[in-house]
Amino acid sequence: MSMHRRRSGLLTLLAGSMLLLFSVDARAIPAFARKYATSCQTCHVGFPKLNPFGEAFRLNGYHLPKETEEQIKIPQVSLGADANKKMFPRTMWPSDLPGQVPLALNVKMASVYASSLDDTGRTLIKNDFQFPQEANLFAGGTLGERMSFLGEVTWAENPDGSSSTELERLHLAIGPFADHLVNFKVGKFAADLNDGFHEMWLSTDNGIDTLFAFNPVGLNGGTGLAEDGGGIALPGDVKGIEIYGVGAHRFFYTAGVVNGLGPSASGSTDANASKDLYARADYKLGGMGLDGDTTGVTLPPENWREHSLRVGVLGYRGNGKGFDFPFEDAGVTIQDRNFTRAGVYASWMFNDLNIFGVALSGRDKLDTFDGEGALVNSASHTFRSWFVQGDYVFVPPLQGSLRYESVRPGDTEVRTLRFLNASLAYFAYANVKAMLEYRRDLNEAKNYQLATILRFAF
Amino acid sequence: MKRALIVVIAAVIAAPLFAGDIHGKVVAHGVRNSEDAVVYVDKIAGKTFPAPAEHAKIDQKSMRFNPRVLPVLEGTTVDFLNSDAVLHNVFSPDSCADRFNLGTWPQGQIKSFTFKKECFASLLCKVHPEMEGFVVVLPTPYFAVTAADGSFHIKDLPDGNYTVKVWHPKLKMALKSIVVKGATIADFEIAK
Repeated sequence: MSMHRRRSGLLTLLAGSMLLLFSVDARAIPAFARKYATSCQTCHVGFPKLNPFGEAFRLNGYHLPKETEEQIKIPQVSLGADANKKMFPRTMWPSDLPGQVPLALNVKMASVYASSLDDTGRTLIKNDFQFPQEANLFAGGTLGERMSFLGEVTWAENPDGSSSTELERLHLAIGPFADHLVNFKVGKFAADLNDGFHEMWLSTDNGIDTLFAFNPVGLNGGTGLAEDGGGIALPGDVKGIEIYGVGAHRFFYTAGVVNGLGPSASGSTDANASKDLYARADYKLGGMGLDGDTTGVTLPPENWREHSLRVGVLGYRGNGKGFDFPFEDAGVTIQDRNFTRAGVYASWMFNDLNIFGVALSGRDKLDTFDGEGALVNSASHTFRSWFVQGDYVFVPPLQGSLRYESVRPGDTEVRTLRFLNASLAYFAYANVKAMLEYRRDLNEAKNYQLATILRFAF
Repeated sequence: MKRALIVVIAAVIAAPLFAGDIHGKVVAHGVRNSEDAVVYVDKIAGKTFPAPAEHAKIDQKSMRFNPRVLPVLEGTTVDFLNSDAVLHNVFSPDSCADRFNLGTWPQGQIKSFTFKKECFASLLCKVHPEMEGFVVVLPTPYFAVTAADGSFHIKDLPDGNYTVKVWHPKLKMALKSIVVKGATIADFEIAK
């Protein structure tokens, strides 16, 4: 888990009483559109959500399925002629690099109207023009037949007028080998553990907080969403090494070895010497193969449509030894020494409708230490969270989304958190979209957010 | 008048021996265009062809082999000219071309190599690894290189039955048995 959390920002809000204002980044990568001289819609239902072809493109190391030379409209720059393969290792293995600077920019502006109830019962109203809210600089391309890369630097403007810049992702992918069966990723990346529901590929502006923003650490188990928007229920992005692949066109697997909670007091990004592990396996019935195969399948010309069902199981095991969650009021710190996550994923596509969801169960062994560092308590707690989301393409420029999400915290005295998220997106062009998104805490009517968002990518 | 008649009769008699040709198109799938395919007549039983005395030429200009694909008859000597202001080298990793390496030489100079046997020889430059060319060494002098639209024309081929092959640097070879009688059309499709 790439969970580099500021310790001061790890206080969990009681009962999840405040609705988060954090949202996902805009993601579409026009560098690929330029390379192939093709529309965003070749790969996206509406950016950033991928259609089946886009998913195959991604899993294929950012090469088109069965890619041919003439499909690449901006030729790559050769770093060695093919015939050099005959000379290897007396010469470098031939490769190439993008024929253009493979950069793209996403910009997001948001008008956010948010209401929240604070601890004293007072209603706080915010009405904020966040123009711009953030900009994402992407780099994406291929290096020869077997390598690709994807990077993202995000610049965001803070409420106090300052700005922050973060290297959100940067990874090198190696593969595919053995047809599509074996690929590797190394770097900082969106874990394929979350394929299909990670913020990178969601149609909504808000992420799925009950999976990614829930903090399971508390005096009696987790109680709510993390204050800074970054919980540790599931990792959003990870630093590590991942293997993934597609077999027989329809079976997908991934496994990763990644940094866990951190940083450590001694300055390393991982809080301890042990690494976290994850794995996922999926199978897709119907529709386009996960590698883009269409043998024996009749697909409609509307490339966001298909009749398919994808189901999967996923799991994560982490070790948070050495990483303190301070609870100053109680004069203690807690370490999440051993935690596991197990979940199921399903995605059903039927013409213009896509319903997908995840159910996740998490178990955390929480060790509490007093101010002297002595262990005063050790207990395990279990939380359960799930969401279901329906995305619908009314017409290509007009798309809607509705999501219900819920988390039953590990602290049994805290009521189940429930949220509703409704979104309507209008695509002025394939790379320009306006969104109206409403999110509500179903436990407290005064916790809600209405955001008007403008995104564009070029 | 009598002399003219003799010339016409002689031309009519000789025509079947020399009037043949093969022309057509090669459609190359999966590459940017259909150029650089070599269409050639394979070995003809009982016939051999003497190597030409004249040298073929490949120029290294603007960091490219020009032509990129050069078909020649077995035994042909190819002159490699460096027209660039930088040093160039030519070598082949292929054993059928004796893995020759001509060293490195400056602008304006020529080095030569004789391709003795049938071979699809890759040409590389150690100084500029991205450069790539091909000398296609063939058993007959009946060959042509396709244009960007895939068209080709093998001229002056005696009428008869032949095996015609298509070689491409990146695609699988194709072949056909063709009966040549005068102007003969043959089209091919090649792919990975």
